[in-house]
Amino acid sequence: MTTLSLPTKSPSYTLAEGLREPAAASTVRRGAPDEWAREELLLRKLGRKGWGRVYQFRNYYESDWGEGGRVMSPRALDAFLRFLEETTFPAGKNTPSVFLTDRGGIELCWEDPSGKSVQVEFTGTGAEFYNAATDEEGTVAFDGLAQLSQRLSA
Amino acid sequence: MTDAFPIQIPDRLPVHIDPCPVVQAIFETRFVSPQPWATMPGLLFAQIREKYPEQKTLPMAQLPEELRRQDPALLILPLIQFLSDNFLIQLGPRVVSLVTKPNAYPGWSAIAQELKWLLKRLKAAGFVGETERLSSRYIDFFGGDIFTALRLGLQINDQPLRGTQTDVTTILRRGALSIRLQVTNGAIVAAKDGPASGSVLDIDAWFGPLDVDFFGNGLDRFAEAHHAIKGLFFGLIKPELLSKLNPTYE
Repeated sequence: MTTLSLPTKSPSYTLAEGLREPAAASTVRRGAPDEWAREELLLRKLGRKGWGRVYQFRNYYESDWGEGGRVMSPRALDAFLRFLEETTFPAGKNTPSVFLTDRGGIELCWEDPSGKSVQVEFTGTGAEFYNAATDEEGTVAFDGLAQLSQRLSA
Repeated sequence: MTDAFPIQIPDRLPVHIDPCPVVQAIFETRFVSPQPWATMPGLLFAQIREKYPEQKTLPMAQLPEELRRQDPALLILPLIQFLSDNFLIQLGPRVVSLVTKPNAYPGWSAIAQELKWLLKRLKAAGFVGETERLSSRYIDFFGGDIFTALRLGLQINDQPLRGTQTDVTTILRRGALSIRLQVTNGAIVAAKDGPASGSVLDIDAWFGPLDVDFFGNGLDRFAEAHHAIKGLFFGLIKPELLSKLNPTYE
């Protein structure tokens, strides 16, 4: 990362001067190697606003936020990202919205091609969904996410 | 991109090599907690003080929390260390790790034993909630240019790039494991006899939240990640380097 250069801890090794990163440029933020794919996914599917909201939920909302809210569940986030990867959202509609729920889940809401609401909340154990067009609601475990994505995709 | 794993892992792996290139090995868990950070060091210290009597605040702890939040890479850094004769335990608001002392790798069985002990103590401390990431990481040092001894390198115009300072980082996937492989021939390491320049092979292998239950399969996952790193190491080095490491097999 290039945003700060303060000493963090005694590293196991340092790179020779020529290999070190140049001073941070305000226009460039290099994602950590293991984070790059998920950041790219969030930007591609949810746009700048959605990317920013997930970043805020993940880094700024501690346990007991709001009125007894739970910190975001890493399992919920992982499930949400897997679902996002698989799902196609309708073209020409608003970009899907994302929310942090009181129980540490992450909720994704969007409009289907007819303008009806679709909601999926990812939790530490799976996902709960509601499809206004069919008035259908239900719960799926993590291994059912790909199938749910197919059902709800545009 | 292809799904095939690009490194061929040998069927038979050594049980011991000498000289041992491991500078440090780190076994880390990232987690979320229902507890505020302020209470965590006390809760942990109460459980480990007999074995880890000494504690040291790390420089990162001096940085205001607001600044640390602005960079996700800083958020997962430890703020405090607990020290014993053979290991360090590092703790931060979202991370806890067991670290071997520099240039004193004690071997996997000693590590597995310590991890088992630490997991019990962490469970008793009661602040580790859901696991976000569990990893084993090995940092190996070699004098000279390691790229000549590895089945990995950088090419320009289909010709291997030699004699220039090079740093290569890539992410590989193998089943549920993600593996960050970093190789550099321009590293400076605090070796036993003082600072030394040479090459580093840094392999970090981790499981994501859906594949880990820290107090359930945590020990097994650490062992799996360790085994994957070991296979990768011996899959990457050429026979000339292997023979210099005097391997012994079971």
